[in-house]
Amino acid sequence: MMHEFKVNSEMVEVTVAKDGQDWLLGDYKAQVLDDGRIMVQSRDGRSKIAHSAKVGDVWWVHIDGHIFCIEKTEAGSADGDSDGGMTAPMPGKILEVKVANGQSVTAGELLLVMEAMKMEHRIVAPSDGVITMVNFSTGDQVQQGDILVEMGE
Amino acid sequence: MINTVLVANRGEIACRILRACSEAGLTSIAIYAENDAGSLFTELATVAVPLEGETIAETYLNQQQILAIAAEHGVDAIHPGFGFLSERADFAQAVIDAGINWIGPSPYAIEMMGDKMTARMTMKAAGVPVIPGEEIESEDEAGMISAIVEASERVGYPLLLKASSGGGGKGMRKVEDSANLEEAIKGARREAIAAFGDGRVYVERLLTGSKHVEIQVLGDTHGRTIHLGERECSVQRRHQKVFEEAPCPVMTDGLRARMGEAAVMAAQAVDYVGAGTVEFLLASNGEFFFLEMNTRIQVEHPVTEMVTGVDLVREQLRIAAGQPMSCGDLMMRGHSIEVRLYAEDATNNFLPAIGPLAVFRAPTGPGIRLDTGVREGDMVTPNYDPMLAKLIVWAPSRVEALERMRRALDEFVVLGTTTNIRFLRELCDNRDVVSGRTDTTLIDRFWPNGWAPTYSDLSLDAALMVAAVSESAGLHRTQVSKTESSNGPISPFQTLNRRYP
Repeated sequence: MMHEFKVNSEMVEVTVAKDGQDWLLGDYKAQVLDDGRIMVQSRDGRSKIAHSAKVGDVWWVHIDGHIFCIEKTEAGSADGDSDGGMTAPMPGKILEVKVANGQSVTAGELLLVMEAMKMEHRIVAPSDGVITMVNFSTGDQVQQGDILVEMGE
Repeated sequence: MINTVLVANRGEIACRILRACSEAGLTSIAIYAENDAGSLFTELATVAVPLEGETIAETYLNQQQILAIAAEHGVDAIHPGFGFLSERADFAQAVIDAGINWIGPSPYAIEMMGDKMTARMTMKAAGVPVIPGEEIESEDEAGMISAIVEASERVGYPLLLKASSGGGGKGMRKVEDSANLEEAIKGARREAIAAFGDGRVYVERLLTGSKHVEIQVLGDTHGRTIHLGERECSVQRRHQKVFEEAPCPVMTDGLRARMGEAAVMAAQAVDYVGAGTVEFLLASNGEFFFLEMNTRIQVEHPVTEMVTGVDLVREQLRIAAGQPMSCGDLMMRGHSIEVRLYAEDATNNFLPAIGPLAVFRAPTGPGIRLDTGVREGDMVTPNYDPMLAKLIVWAPSRVEALERMRRALDEFVVLGTTTNIRFLRELCDNRDVVSGRTDTTLIDRFWPNGWAPTYSDLSLDAALMVAAVSESAGLHRTQVSKTESSNGPISPFQTLNRRYP
């Protein structure tokens, strides 16, 4: 699988292959442990445990005592302010909620408008579907990474 | 006798005190502002009482509201922790007037030490060495300028202007030569009036390259005042300590005895009761000078606890209850280091950071102590001080304590919010930290243009792989579902059926 990431303002393409339970990349082999941590093994047999967590579009990775913030960027997607996921990109305030629970929406439809760092951010539906949960209402404060709206098929 | 203690604080220090109350078998009351609902410290209290109001002034600094809660819950002692109301003589007096024990020194001692010029004069009179300098009597601008200009000839340059009511660097000015003196006096006075409503400014020689060394003191109501050795807290950024240790690496038995004796004299000069800290500047020639006295428990108290075996908070509780302190003669063993974990961006001038603590896994193992106010899943908000926790290690020697701290910081995983963990880790490798040549200018000397982490490409490659595997394996989806289930459908276990055979 190929992923596009941004780290230290540099764009990087990373392709990992799966072989049974193992993920492979160059000299490295990795396994996802039951608790969600990841064991990375280098060819010389040394292994280390990494932790990862996704907040907004950013993977926070801890390995070797270092922490890296690795942003997932959608391959081929327009940059722009309307491509948001359905999580709050940063702390802010909900200005407008455009949808209600149970409502059908089409890809690209505006779900919610929020204000953060004095800028408006439009949260749109990434695909067609049905709104299963609206977690905030107008005027609410939200934190970075909060799930604003949840959708089902 | 004390039965019920109200802790008028929040976060990490509230947890520390509430746990001590629990260990002492005391009933404890936590108070919390709405934006602290669900915080760790509210869970550690016997009863947690919400505060009304939104701002800090309306909540944690609201003396009337806190006293009303104390009255309602039959509280017989109040522990103020540090910060907030801890050094407010008027609050200490109000607590005492309400018939409640104040876990701290008398309002008189707080007042005498709170005004820096008064503290200087009190210390001089008690025979404690103070930084070469002069108090300035004049309060009007013209009189102050001429008095300070005159005094500056005797004090010498570089010098430091300090606000008598000062704190946190406000109303403080470094002056290199006489050309800039008058402008600096006006500036310091203006700032002091704005910040403290008190424009009194005095002058001290600026002692560069010195160490910040402080002595822990303890006094009880049975006439005993002792010191518990020193802590060195030289490594500071923006006038805040980040790395503290005991003992001080250059301390000798003779110097400790002299500084300890001076600290005890300082405490006795104001009839000090409870735990307090006398701060000194220690010059490279071994001369030491009184800086100020902090009339409360201090953030870095754990390093003293680790090397002396004294539980300072338990002693505070004992002393406030009118009992004699339980510790005997000073015994120091091994070496302890504390680092302060801040939610801040060390690569960007230590700017405070916010965010979720998506992962918060603290190190464990021998010689490790974590005093934390947060746990995994908490949000770091801009509402309060960005200090999240303190990591403390103990080991038989300083070398081993540094080794242990490096290991512990490597194990410490905090994801979702930027912290200074990596900065602290690299600090442990800094050559002046390793050799013990720490002074108050260390961070500015080594990182004059700011700090950036050093890592190998191999680490970054491995991290990129971890991100790719996490994304491919859909780990974020399982993390999301974890959040969902916590606010998910109502638990079937909402009734309790107990059958008795």
